[in-house]
Amino acid sequence: MSKKIFKEMSRLDDQPLISLTVDELMTVPHLGKEEPMVSPPEKWTNNYEFCFDEHTPLGLPKPESREEEDEFVKKFLSGLQKLLDPRNNWTFLQILRLSLDYCMHCQTCSDACHVYLGSGQQEIYRPTFRAEVLRKIYKKFFTPEGRLLGGFVGADLEVNYKTLVRLLESAYRCTLCRRCALMCPVGLDNGLIAREIRKLFSQEMGIAPPEIHEKGCVTQLKVGSSTGMNPLAFKDTIEFIEDDIFERTERKIKLPVDKKGADILLIHNAGEYLAWPENPGAFAVLFDAAGINYTLSSEAVGYDAVNYGAWYDDVELARIVLRHTLIARDLGVKKIVIGECGHATKAYVVVADRVLTGELSSSEIPRESCLPLLWEIVRRGAVKFDPARNNFPVTLHDPCNMVRLMGLVEPQRRVLRKLCPQFREMNPHGVHNYCCGGGSGFAVIQSFNFPQWRNKVGTRMKMKQILSAFGDVLDPAVPKYVAAPCSNCKGAIRDALAHYALWTRYQILYGGIVELMVNAMADLPRPFIEWEFH
Amino acid sequence: MGLFLVLLGWFSVLIFVVAAAYKIVRLAAQPLHLRWELYPVAHEPNHYGGSYMEEVDYASKPRHTVLLNELKELLAEVFYLKRVREYNRFGIWPFALAMHWGIYFFFFWLFLLLIEEVFDLYFTSFSLFANIFGVGSFFLGALGALGLIIKRAGSAGLKLYTTPVDYFNLFFLLSIFGTALLSWINDPRLIFPRVYIDGVLFLQAPDVPLPVLLNFLLFELFLIYMPFTKLLHYAAKFFTFHKVLWDDGLNTKGSPIDKKITAQLAYRVTWAAPHIVPGKTWAEQVQIADGREVQNE
Repeated sequence: MSKKIFKEMSRLDDQPLISLTVDELMTVPHLGKEEPMVSPPEKWTNNYEFCFDEHTPLGLPKPESREEEDEFVKKFLSGLQKLLDPRNNWTFLQILRLSLDYCMHCQTCSDACHVYLGSGQQEIYRPTFRAEVLRKIYKKFFTPEGRLLGGFVGADLEVNYKTLVRLLESAYRCTLCRRCALMCPVGLDNGLIAREIRKLFSQEMGIAPPEIHEKGCVTQLKVGSSTGMNPLAFKDTIEFIEDDIFERTERKIKLPVDKKGADILLIHNAGEYLAWPENPGAFAVLFDAAGINYTLSSEAVGYDAVNYGAWYDDVELARIVLRHTLIARDLGVKKIVIGECGHATKAYVVVADRVLTGELSSSEIPRESCLPLLWEIVRRGAVKFDPARNNFPVTLHDPCNMVRLMGLVEPQRRVLRKLCPQFREMNPHGVHNYCCGGGSGFAVIQSFNFPQWRNKVGTRMKMKQILSAFGDVLDPAVPKYVAAPCSNCKGAIRDALAHYALWTRYQILYGGIVELMVNAMADLPRPFIEWEFH
Repeated sequence: MGLFLVLLGWFSVLIFVVAAAYKIVRLAAQPLHLRWELYPVAHEPNHYGGSYMEEVDYASKPRHTVLLNELKELLAEVFYLKRVREYNRFGIWPFALAMHWGIYFFFFWLFLLLIEEVFDLYFTSFSLFANIFGVGSFFLGALGALGLIIKRAGSAGLKLYTTPVDYFNLFFLLSIFGTALLSWINDPRLIFPRVYIDGVLFLQAPDVPLPVLLNFLLFELFLIYMPFTKLLHYAAKFFTFHKVLWDDGLNTKGSPIDKKITAQLAYRVTWAAPHIVPGKTWAEQVQIADGREVQNE
């Protein structure tokens, strides 16, 4: 590989840097013959930017004039200046500065990335590639040595409109799983650099994938949920779930909503209500059986834990966590528990810990993941379980946000070891896990041909891990379950299982932890899990 | 020339100390960032990478941390290059380790020479002890730097990301260790380096052979150069690990973290995207649902 690849970032034509084919991708045993990559149609390529890798989650319209291109570059550089400013970017400045200034180019992080490996080691997906592009621009415009010595210190990249479009696209080929940061000998964070690039484009130029920004954060703040569900629709959904619970368990359970003074405010990713209503249903059955005093909220934003700001925008992140916390304060709950959603849990419990102050700080309104509570229910014997009801192969996917980024490693494992006789780990797992491929918004982005990229490249490593974990029981007569305590992970795994027909070929199903727990409840008339793929 | 060498000796140490301290203070003075830890966090007692957040009601429970584990982890990184050893696929670990140990030994050797000078321990077993570190340093450093140059030039995955200044740094180090080796070949008991140090310490022009002169000249220039480059990563590591990846400090009402964050929320924002209202503070900004609505009012 010559230095050409960096120069190609600045190519002025529309040609992508690579054109992926399935033959080049990482080999996955048992995956079988797969559909070839489909190039984007001309009506897309004529109007939108596909100049990075022939895919896009953004659909950036092509500029109409040279002036528009110049303005784009100008705004980017203005945004980069703000990223380096302590007032505009106090949130991450120290980490960004360290990561920009001290990379030793040792490439120790290279093999950490599931995208890089899944793609068959395409250079443009190497964790250091996009970070190095940003470093080159940073050095060229914002350091004395870069201005003085140019190429000698690596400040050798021509910065034009196309360079920046490709850089933006590249920031949306990283799932922010930060596995690369785990391996860096200097402790630098190329994942953070990808997020900072996204943030620059969002906070300065208003550019972000529509599913994340306009349909995501903006809709959540205005309507109440990124799903578009308003408070009235939420109440209808609760009624539907109560009916569904009765059908599955013959139990009439009234889900508590807006109950003042409850011990816990439980907030689910609202995607669960629409895509997997059995998950909030299972929580209701379990919490009812365990006698937990909790409530849901029907306030706008209060019934949707998601915080897409965690992936691209500090202002949006802060706006959402503030609303969640004010709702909890008004309800007078003792603490907030987030359901099975990785990014929401990390954003709220960890990142927002230094956004919310005083009366709203963690000491005053504590925030927790649901996983320790689930284990606590099993540990203290609050509910009678019969593990024989879960006597099928189960493996566990570790959501990066909860595991590597929060240290929630054991509670979910303890539950599965106790309740699932055929539990087996993926390899690697725990803090060394690979991302599902749906992280940082990829699971919800459906624009243009991005789902093709996600299924073929992004989730490839996870499919390899899942197939390997079930390698001894691939017989379709044996139903198998991938437990993924995270909505986005489930979304990505669902799409990939469907893409490769792994449900129909091997009977591999996916779902949350809590469904497995309720499935094992000894006094339910029949299994809670319905072996149907959806 | 003699006086110049004396002055350069003192000046290089002064610049090294002052510039490195200045850079470290600047790194430390950055605003408190949001939490961005990465597990395993070294001071957590759970060896598998678990955190205090694995406990129900963790916010009201006492924390158990083992700070010694942080030290162990940092020492493993500094003296064993643990992550390079475990994860690097380009085979650079033996050379990187040799070069780093070469640098550590070089500094230690100079320290021993100073001790020898101050306590007048010339030609004792202490001198022999110092020489072992000196010669060890020259060999390790030269081998490491040369090996890394060859690796970087010979491996496509490394070469692509290696900038001219990366090669320059390695050649710089190679030249220091190379001239040291050359001086040792001509002076196996390393007498002239002692003469040089004596001269610098007591402000007398040192009369030494060219390789020794070159060796110290290059080393002094390196001392001046290093704090202004990414070679200061040894200091940056304290911040990346201790202050970022392992910073899991929980915010509590009225705590120093709380006060810092409250102050930072009063910073004014000038981001220009439509959903943000420029000129408002962070605290004001987060009250707004969408900046476009405010701007249209």
